[in-house]
Amino acid sequence: MKATFPHLAHLDIALGVLYPTLGVEIVPPPPISKKTIEMGVKLAPQNACFPLKVTLGNFLEGIERGADTVFMAGGVGPCRFGYYGQVQKIIIEDMGHDVRFILLDHPRYGWRQFLDAIKVMMGGRFSLVRAKRAVTLAWQILRFTEELENYRRSLRCQVEDKATLDTMVEETLDRLRSVEEIRTLANIRDEARANLRDFPRRQREGMIRVGIVGEVYIAQEKRINFNIDRLLGDLGVYVHNSVSTVEYILHTLPFFRSRDKHEAWQLARPYLNRFVGGEGIDSVGSTVRYAQWGFDGVVHLYPFTCMPEVVAKGIMNQVGKDYDLPILHLAIDEHAGEAGLVTRVEAFVDVLERRGKMGRKTLEAIGR
Amino acid sequence: MKIGIPRGLLFYRFYYLWKTFLEELGQEVVISPPTNKPIIQRGLTYAVEEICFPAKVFLGHAHYLKDTVDMLFIPRVVSFHKGEYTCPKILGLPDLVRNLFDVPADRVIDDEINMRERSQVGWRQGFLAIGRRFVTNERRIAQALREAEEAHRRYRRRVREGVLPEVMIDGAQPLPPRQEKVLMLGHTYLINESFINMNIIQKVHEMGFSVITPDMVDPRRSRRALKEIPKASFWTFSNEILGSTLHILRSRPAEVKGFIHLVSFECGPDSLVGEVIGRLFRREKDLLPYLRLEIDEHTGEAGLVTRLEAFVDMMRWRYAHRESYVSPSCSS
Repeated sequence: MKATFPHLAHLDIALGVLYPTLGVEIVPPPPISKKTIEMGVKLAPQNACFPLKVTLGNFLEGIERGADTVFMAGGVGPCRFGYYGQVQKIIIEDMGHDVRFILLDHPRYGWRQFLDAIKVMMGGRFSLVRAKRAVTLAWQILRFTEELENYRRSLRCQVEDKATLDTMVEETLDRLRSVEEIRTLANIRDEARANLRDFPRRQREGMIRVGIVGEVYIAQEKRINFNIDRLLGDLGVYVHNSVSTVEYILHTLPFFRSRDKHEAWQLARPYLNRFVGGEGIDSVGSTVRYAQWGFDGVVHLYPFTCMPEVVAKGIMNQVGKDYDLPILHLAIDEHAGEAGLVTRVEAFVDVLERRGKMGRKTLEAIGR
Repeated sequence: MKIGIPRGLLFYRFYYLWKTFLEELGQEVVISPPTNKPIIQRGLTYAVEEICFPAKVFLGHAHYLKDTVDMLFIPRVVSFHKGEYTCPKILGLPDLVRNLFDVPADRVIDDEINMRERSQVGWRQGFLAIGRRFVTNERRIAQALREAEEAHRRYRRRVREGVLPEVMIDGAQPLPPRQEKVLMLGHTYLINESFINMNIIQKVHEMGFSVITPDMVDPRRSRRALKEIPKASFWTFSNEILGSTLHILRSRPAEVKGFIHLVSFECGPDSLVGEVIGRLFRREKDLLPYLRLEIDEHTGEAGLVTRLEAFVDMMRWRYAHRESYVSPSCSS
């Protein structure tokens, strides 16, 4: 069995450590490129949301490289993500590939299938001790990759030597791929943290701060969102991203709770008091949180036609009005052009700068 | 109190239920007029630009009603079938109306009706919550709900018999049944709203075909047919569409000549389920004609008519030359 899986930010690093430890041979799909997107777009339903097309492209490229099994997660809705696997399976079957599709779905669609899927993904044998060690390690790695990205995002606008920062992060990410023990991970982590903390910075007053909210895939996958973190960072903007795979997974698991998300849901209450699928309510809540933190603006990233985010978009505009917070909505799909996006982001940053100079209406002034 | 029900989305499914329930509780029910240009214009102006066309129409109706009634009736119908959802846009509808039009929260009836986890209990609790806004006596609410459910059942039965909702609600002219039929797939708010689908049912009728909608297929049969799919979707409307397609595809009644699938451009569920249906069709040995029509606010009537005419010609041709017809899946 050679398994392939979809890309999502640095998930491949964590899975690349997890599966070999469990004895599953994997064929990671090549990094997302123009070709991936083209392959996916050609076969996927025209109006499906963009992540479906990209992940389909991942699978096809994985199969090209020799994979015979596909690992994918399912869901219970109402977001379309929960049905991706079923559609992708039919499409790949129709292409004539002889591929096993292992869908990790909610047990509500059959405990047997659920347990079978877990068993296959665990390498055919249930060994709690082994599984626990491997999963803990992979989990820590995933956490750390997100931490690294957070460092990169927030440091970019403050450092002179951006290229060295990039190499430092990339090198650390590369080193993570060969980690086999928690102890090695801890060493790498300490070293990287120390290096990043001591990175020479410029002291800057009155940085513009922008928060990123939106759909979990588009807001994190920089090969899809035209690396908006970097774009903003190069314009001298401090970036914070409220979207995280770790929190997403925590929230999906039973008995765990993501404190971050819980807080966002509470904050969203006055505007949207129910889960509408995907990250709709998180986007609204995080926008409120950024407003309360005194951020200068929010960038909302989502795939074109995304149902939960479209609902969130309508509601976020009201949040923006109430807190006097500019929001830039960016819908991304295969037709999004880099130049257009860059222009819009630059214009948005100009607006924020101008507002800063003119003296932004403070929250106290509008009675909050 | 004057309570306004916007004519859109779930309206054609639950109109009699809601109306009877509210009237039994002594409220005055106002519905917005049948969709027209100015109402659509309101929707296009005030709604989110990327939301699907039926939702824009709904928001147009809500905008039309908001100043003329005391309260807007937009219950949050999370689910009306066990284990399934409606669409995220319907889930967020009351919040959208509140935030887009600056309607105060106490003027929107937004109680949650959720049958996903607890089935009937969730249903009853939703209506109890709505009823408690008007009367305190719970027995009276339960009585009203019973009446309403009875009216709803009657309505659904008549729809199943082939009476179109518009005939019942607005007194439109019923169309005489025809020998040959097509199955018109699509969400209830697209098929039954003759203004936004450009009167497609009548157009198809004039071309010589009666229309069967998913509402006219026996729900038990369509649910059973759905078992063929390893995992049915989690949207009730899409499951009804998929189920009735599979039911007709497997039972192959002689009078059904083809399928027309009406999709609104931005529809999330249908973008996936429509693909599944399309691919199921192509896997069939003996294909049935299938037309997929996408509708949004930019759709032109002439284009729609041309495609319908071409489709009907193709159907006629296919059945006239059945023997010489080679299915594309065999030839390639």
